[in-house]
Amino acid sequence: MRTTPNTAPRPDGELEKLEEVWRTRRGWRFFSSVNNTNIGLLYIGTALLFFVLAGVLGLLIRAQLAVPQNTLLGAETYNQVFTMHGTVMMFLFAIPVVEAIAVYLLPNMLGARDLPFPRLSAYAYWAYAFGGLAFFCTLFAGLAPDGGWFMYPPLTGTKYSPGLNADFWLLGIGFIEISAIAGAIELIVGILFTRAPGMTLGRMPVYAWAMLVVALMIVFAFPAVIAGTALLELERAFDWPFFIAERGGDPLLWQHLFWFFGHPEVYIIFLPAAGMVSTMIPTIAGTPLVGRRAIIAALLGVGVLSFGLWAHHMFTAGLGVLEMSFVSAASMAVAVPTAIQVFAWIATLWKGKVQRGAPTLFLLGFMFIFVLGGLTGVMVAVIPFDWQVHDTYFIVAHFHYVLIGGMVFPVFAALYYWLPLVNGNRLSEVLARWVFWLMFGGFNLAFFPMHISGLLGMPRRVYTYGPELGWNGLNMVSTVGAFLFAAGVGLFAVDAFRTLRREARPVGNPWNAPTLEWLGSEDYGNRSIARVSSHDPLWDEPELAREVEEGRHYLPHSATGERETIATSPVAAAPRYLLVLPGDSWLPMLAAFGTAAFFLLLTVKLYPLAWACGLLAVGGVLGWMWGSDRESAHETVRAEASQPLPVGATGTASHSWWATIIMLVVDASIFASFAFAYVHVSMRLMVCPPPGASLPPLTQALASCGLLLSGSALVWLARRSLGKRRLPWLALAALGCALASFVLDLQGWRAGLDPSASAWAAAIAALAGYQGLHIVLLLVLAPYLALRAWRGHLGPRSRATLDNIALVWHYTTLQGIAAVAVVRLMPLVME
Amino acid sequence: MKTPTEHFFRRALQVTLPLLVWIAHFAFSYGLAAAQCTPAGLRPGGPDRLLLGGVTVTALALCALLAWRGRGALRDRQAGLAERAGAVLAILALVAIAWAGLPLLLVSGCA
Repeated sequence: MRTTPNTAPRPDGELEKLEEVWRTRRGWRFFSSVNNTNIGLLYIGTALLFFVLAGVLGLLIRAQLAVPQNTLLGAETYNQVFTMHGTVMMFLFAIPVVEAIAVYLLPNMLGARDLPFPRLSAYAYWAYAFGGLAFFCTLFAGLAPDGGWFMYPPLTGTKYSPGLNADFWLLGIGFIEISAIAGAIELIVGILFTRAPGMTLGRMPVYAWAMLVVALMIVFAFPAVIAGTALLELERAFDWPFFIAERGGDPLLWQHLFWFFGHPEVYIIFLPAAGMVSTMIPTIAGTPLVGRRAIIAALLGVGVLSFGLWAHHMFTAGLGVLEMSFVSAASMAVAVPTAIQVFAWIATLWKGKVQRGAPTLFLLGFMFIFVLGGLTGVMVAVIPFDWQVHDTYFIVAHFHYVLIGGMVFPVFAALYYWLPLVNGNRLSEVLARWVFWLMFGGFNLAFFPMHISGLLGMPRRVYTYGPELGWNGLNMVSTVGAFLFAAGVGLFAVDAFRTLRREARPVGNPWNAPTLEWLGSEDYGNRSIARVSSHDPLWDEPELAREVEEGRHYLPHSATGERETIATSPVAAAPRYLLVLPGDSWLPMLAAFGTAAFFLLLTVKLYPLAWACGLLAVGGVLGWMWGSDRESAHETVRAEASQPLPVGATGTASHSWWATIIMLVVDASIFASFAFAYVHVSMRLMVCPPPGASLPPLTQALASCGLLLSGSALVWLARRSLGKRRLPWLALAALGCALASFVLDLQGWRAGLDPSASAWAAAIAALAGYQGLHIVLLLVLAPYLALRAWRGHLGPRSRATLDNIALVWHYTTLQGIAAVAVVRLMPLVME
Repeated sequence: MKTPTEHFFRRALQVTLPLLVWIAHFAFSYGLAAAQCTPAGLRPGGPDRLLLGGVTVTALALCALLAWRGRGALRDRQAGLAERAGAVLAILALVAIAWAGLPLLLVSGCA
């Protein structure tokens, strides 16, 4: 018999206690659940609902364009419909569904009982669900955004879009950005720190690698669009002219910020799908993945190169020819790592014996469509060709081939493949063939003719066209294809509904897959946490499933009487400490409701109610934080027979410390985007500062920086005063310094800068405003820290609150100093 | 419990160094070309192709060095993930930088 971490027979009642700790509450209390399985399923279901809703909008578009001079939709309605189709597909379906599948799958695939911040997952889901549904409903009031999914100014400025429609887009996607970033932090920490013991980075499933790369991409890509939307909303609300050329602004600034998010976004959607494909293909071929290490390298390569492609959406915007050439080269280079993955998948299928079934059909469909989309992608990376087809239906065809081929088909393959995890039942293979051929045939019928209509000159976003232009037949074929595709999706929905209502059966391992998610699983995850010694554990260790089920691996019980998982080291996945997880709660849902309502009410200018909801959100988050970071009654526990495991960790060993660091990287990236906006508008000036604007005296700026540094020094002292009575007073004194610094800044800026007079002044105001937002954050955090100290909730084993607030504090200091440096240096550089 | 140091960031750097070289090269090239073609920093004759060429050759040399040092990992079937991925990425970065450098031979001026 193999040696396992726990060899002794398990005591009576142990399993029942584990079940009790993790039990999902029934009835309406189910919605207070924070368990990754429940939240993951809700998340996937909601994302698929938005897929259907956005698909209906797509059908409306196709119905309108089926015949020339159609009057089904008027121009204004059509503008809202196509804008919402793109926005909902990208922001409410594509990004959420890939995160949702990861929330559902990853903990089991990594051998963890749950993700490290279950309440954060729940918050991210509910913010998305509440906000997304309310955002979609704007269509019914005729208030939906109508400026296209990338919302270019000046069209979306107040001059040409005076209504609330654009504001709904700008503020409405705020909660989606928050939700996506919360998910990304959760995934990075989960993947790096909660893998099963022995699951080294080299043995980690390729899907987990893909999600790690994607989560890191979200950290660096989303800040650009957060900054962009903030700037455009500030322009619309307060007349700060960031994008108005007459006052020194630049519409291209929006394009840079939007596409610096928007192009990596395509890969943020594609890479999880590629990770799923790399997980499913070895199973259906019955052989290990060919070129596994090269595929992981390719994922990293795509993740980085994709940040150099943003400007290929701007080839007709008047950029310099050399800049465009660099971007064109990067656009072609990214095809290399993508091709590595495609060739590795083909080689794996070639090497193995392929199981025929629904996942196989959708995977083959994916490869056919995605490769075609990739090839037209290389075509539009060629600048002169792009000039010809820019803003035509050729582009519409290209990105639907990439997005539907590269993401929707793999997601459907994944649904067929992983749906048995829910209740042990597989979807119908007979219906699957109908679903596949309707979707595959319908897709090609709908979108292939668009290449031709685009080459014939049909522009995007026209709500109708003349009969003499020669596009009639092509458009009719596209419409027929779209409805066939929809019929396939509808048939799938019927089959899924039917399958999910069937009586639950043992899940087993229906595809004979090698990855851990196919171990027996309940609310608590696996009975015990597997020790892993290969990258295909269920193939290489046939006894593993039985041993795990018998509780012979790690943590076969609830050691502290609470929900727990094992935190492991990031490279070798050696057990480090027992991570105690929070239980179910309504607070994440409450906070999420407050967040979504805050953004939406702000849009309709119901300010008192919006701020009340904002306070509800903050209160909800503080409420759930208050119960966390408490000293456990146990210092160590036995997760395995041979050695004790500490309960919790502090400092850099703590998962919360890493989460804070990642959040601050997001923060710094948003700040960098604001700084970029300032540099961009400065470089358009002939004289800097522009006439009528002036900076405050240098001494005032230095005094402000000095105050920030003093605040940080006091916080540094507070960290060294744990257990002493002075700690809360030091935190409050530090807050005084931060507030004084900001008041000084504000006085200085207000004396010489009018943000509505020039984009340059507005850009400085944006930097100052962002610093102000951090001071407001400290205004919440310092009293919170003081209160915890007074109530005795800070101790040597419960100091994460102190350490993490200190990190935020020092970051705010650095950001304030960096803002002063950037603002002051630019005029010097330009002299 | 004391666990051995894993040098996580050192290993991460070992794998991603070629990509960091690509980022540095791309950011510098794009940034300089953009700056020298804006009203405030307009340079007669367009972006400084000599400087850009020098930076490109340096970046290519760095990636070639990394690829050369990683050649063993490409042949060794038992090579670790970090070594193999680092070598693959060095070749990828080499190709991407060489491709980005081509326009310097063909394009001059801003428009």
